[in-house]
Amino acid sequence: MILAQGLNLQWGITGMVNFGVAGFYAIGAYTGGILSTRVGLPPELAIVLAAAGAGVVGLIVSLLTMRLREDYFAIVTLGFGEIVRLLALNEDWLTEGPRGLKISVRPFDFGLTNASYALVYLGAVAFTILIIYVICERIRSSPYGRVLRAIREDDVVASVLGKNIVRFRVQVFAIGSIFMGLAGALFAHYVQNISPDTFMPMIAIFIWMSVIVGGYGNNRGLLLGAGIVMVILEGSRFLGDFVSFVNSQQLASIRIILIGCILMVVLRFKPRGLIPEPKFSSPFERTPD
Amino acid sequence: MAQVIVNGIVSAALIAPPAVAFSMLFGILRFPNFAIGGYITVGVFAAYAMNVPLALPFWVAALGATLAGAVIVWISDQIIFRPMRTSAPVTLLVVSIALTFVLEHSVRLIFGPDVKGFNLPLERPITLGQIHITRSQIHLIGTALFIIVFTHLLLTRTRTGRAMRAMADNPELAEVRGIRSTLIRVVATLYCGALLGLSGVSAGFDLAIEPLLGWSLTIPIIAAAILGGIGSVYGAMLGAVLVGLAEEFSTLILPSSYKIAVGFGIIAMLLLLRPQGLLGQPEIKK
Amino acid sequence: MDFSTSRRRILTGSAIAALGSTLSPRLLYANDAISIGSLTPNTGGGAPYGGNMAAAIRRTVDQINASGGVLNRQIKLTQEDGETNPETATRAADKLINVNQVIAILGTWASSVTLGIMPKCQSANIIQMCTSSSDDIPIRDTKGLCFNFQILNPVWGRALGKMAIDRGFKQFKLMALNNDFTRSILTGFEEAIGPGRLLEKPFYYNANQASYKAEVSRLLEGNPDAVFIPAYVTDFTSVYKDIYRAGYKGQVITVTFAASEPFKKAVGAAADGILHGFPIPPLDSPAYKQYLQEAGLQDNGQIQHPYGTACRDQISVLALAIEKAGTTEAEAVKRAIYDVSTGPGKKVVYNVLDGLKALRAGEKINYSGAGSAVEFDQNRQLIGRDIQLYQIRNGRDEIIATLKVR
Repeated sequence: MILAQGLNLQWGITGMVNFGVAGFYAIGAYTGGILSTRVGLPPELAIVLAAAGAGVVGLIVSLLTMRLREDYFAIVTLGFGEIVRLLALNEDWLTEGPRGLKISVRPFDFGLTNASYALVYLGAVAFTILIIYVICERIRSSPYGRVLRAIREDDVVASVLGKNIVRFRVQVFAIGSIFMGLAGALFAHYVQNISPDTFMPMIAIFIWMSVIVGGYGNNRGLLLGAGIVMVILEGSRFLGDFVSFVNSQQLASIRIILIGCILMVVLRFKPRGLIPEPKFSSPFERTPD
Repeated sequence: MAQVIVNGIVSAALIAPPAVAFSMLFGILRFPNFAIGGYITVGVFAAYAMNVPLALPFWVAALGATLAGAVIVWISDQIIFRPMRTSAPVTLLVVSIALTFVLEHSVRLIFGPDVKGFNLPLERPITLGQIHITRSQIHLIGTALFIIVFTHLLLTRTRTGRAMRAMADNPELAEVRGIRSTLIRVVATLYCGALLGLSGVSAGFDLAIEPLLGWSLTIPIIAAAILGGIGSVYGAMLGAVLVGLAEEFSTLILPSSYKIAVGFGIIAMLLLLRPQGLLGQPEIKK
Repeated sequence: MDFSTSRRRILTGSAIAALGSTLSPRLLYANDAISIGSLTPNTGGGAPYGGNMAAAIRRTVDQINASGGVLNRQIKLTQEDGETNPETATRAADKLINVNQVIAILGTWASSVTLGIMPKCQSANIIQMCTSSSDDIPIRDTKGLCFNFQILNPVWGRALGKMAIDRGFKQFKLMALNNDFTRSILTGFEEAIGPGRLLEKPFYYNANQASYKAEVSRLLEGNPDAVFIPAYVTDFTSVYKDIYRAGYKGQVITVTFAASEPFKKAVGAAADGILHGFPIPPLDSPAYKQYLQEAGLQDNGQIQHPYGTACRDQISVLALAIEKAGTTEAEAVKRAIYDVSTGPGKKVVYNVLDGLKALRAGEKINYSGAGSAVEFDQNRQLIGRDIQLYQIRNGRDEIIATLKVR
């Protein structure tokens, strides 16, 4: 969810295609986990620092890659994500490699029972989503957001109008990365066990599905999109409870085929997502070409 | 050391033809088609189905895989990519990844997840001094070279080929000059599909046949194509050789578990320093 | 606009299942059924085994239900695919625990998955049964809920190393798939052969590569007497093809599941000569023979369904323990698991139906399984399994040596 928000900010609003979501997510998760478990910082502080760390990395990555064409940019960021995963896999001294990092401390822990702890955590996550949603909405509807969208539609025009495109893009990319890192750290402290396998490029693709299904450039559609994707992903598990003529192995394949088909159908017939970006009444608004 | 070079060239022979196909598809369809992995998987399993369960000779199976590749790429273009040709490249990129999932898991659904092999015995190598190479690896390299030269001639010496290049360079202009873009598109997808199907056979021969085979080749293939420069046939070949060698040599310096990163590293460096690739034309900004 | 609360409710990602537990009425599953979950690796690295693991559990549950169930209650089995991926598995475990309300999760295979779902299982008091062999399992299982039906990796690796030395090899090179499981087997092997016999520090490679030639060249450099490569079957097939094509004449040693039937079919006659070793099911045990029959397999003297057999044992032991405990409460079941599986002087049973009958007749039982004798130590690990060393000859496994690990 938070991931999708970060991504939407980057792509939906400025048209930057980040396939390295998994990488920033992993950086957040590992930074958070290492700081809280190894260094012994309070987990809440570790989560904040993890988000900041991901933001810094995002800043560096975006400075390097900002001038690339969008599909090339996508490939480079995909590569970035994979390299982060390989680092996590191979640098055992830091990340415990393939056996996974166990996180022994829990944030927001006030000696609660497990059931209520899950609810508290859920509440904390929901609250974070709400804050990020508000921030994203603010950015979107501010003058700043209009500049960003202008960059998405046509960067040449925007630069002619005197906007420093590179600076805007870098800023947004870094903010998006912060959200992704935050999501990673929250995730890590929830499952309490992270391993490099968790951060396969698959994640990027699911998050992408959320953004695309919901409609890009649109924070509300995005929430719907993420919901639908999670319902499909998790809900297709329930299929097995009702269908008995296929074995579970075939079912697993069918699930993924189904997911792929849904994604293709949505993109084919609703290329702007289920809830398209609302049009603006501003007389200066360009119509997308 | 000499062996490392030979290894690199054998790997290159494996990724050069699909890199050419990727490059051509990119030129004509105007987006990076990640579904090449899925197409390769379909190709290799078509060959497997004919060679092992149906017990047909290997060359018949290879031919069948070529056909299967052509048909699957053509069909997927007809029902998915062509109707969406006005969408952004990135949207198409995501669709192509979704298509890969669908293809690979359909194959898994039919054939199961176990590794498989062709009905061909493994060979011992011919040893020349320090170098080991098997006869079929020589065939593999020969086939790849043939495909490259043939494709190059096709693109430069035939009307159809020239039309394809014209379309890749500038679709509007090509249309104006009376090139029938729909027809060219069909020819190009069929031809690239055939290449990918055949690549599947080589890959299944060199590695293990399993549904995710195509996916593991995708990154080196794309790296080779980008390295060579999109649209350049010899560039793709050169790119394949360089990627092959880089991956082999990297293990001398880096821990071998970082090898996968090499392909990405090459892509990233190149796109940053020389986005048009080694032999590609610089893109003309409108 | 009341949109935001309902939206958040639908959307909060993986927490959806957690919410499900508070919203979905327990009525969904009839209260008198005992809910049990399986989380087998149907796709991903464990895919070659996941199918028959899931099937073995399903068959045994059907048998139990057809004969009247446990404690006169039916077993409601929910099967999920963990995709050999801890992240997916964690979400699936969430669903099993909170929605299906399972009391136990069986069939996890990769250590990363078993360990990945462990925090959730521990906090919900769910019994885990696995065939994973990371030595972290007993350490992290602080509540004592995870029963392991596989021996630990280093034990296995050491046994193989010892058998390799016994066969007179002097110089070794080692390379492992970069994975907790295969790496810790390698560590055991390395310990057993000692530094003197090692030509170069062991190294690791990743799966899903377009070529393994560089790794293979490095492995064969210096022409060692023997190479040991703990791996999974898919990558081992590619690696072995390159070893063979590089003209290596020394001894290739691996673990049996890398040199399994699909491997032998894929490489054909070239597979001859490979040595491989494995903790084996007791091949002459009636339980193993019954398993073959249940699964519709012929006894061909080869190891078949190494993990499917273990899964039959998992569900059998669990069902027997619940019957013995008279409740599904975790603490009692945990103790009862020892009671029905471990210790001398009891009636030995080879399948769950016989066991249930004997329990109802008031007898003390010791279940001896299709995958192992199922005797646990105080850390919930198997006390021992036989490890057998095979050589592939004419496309078939021939037994070379057997080592009893205690």
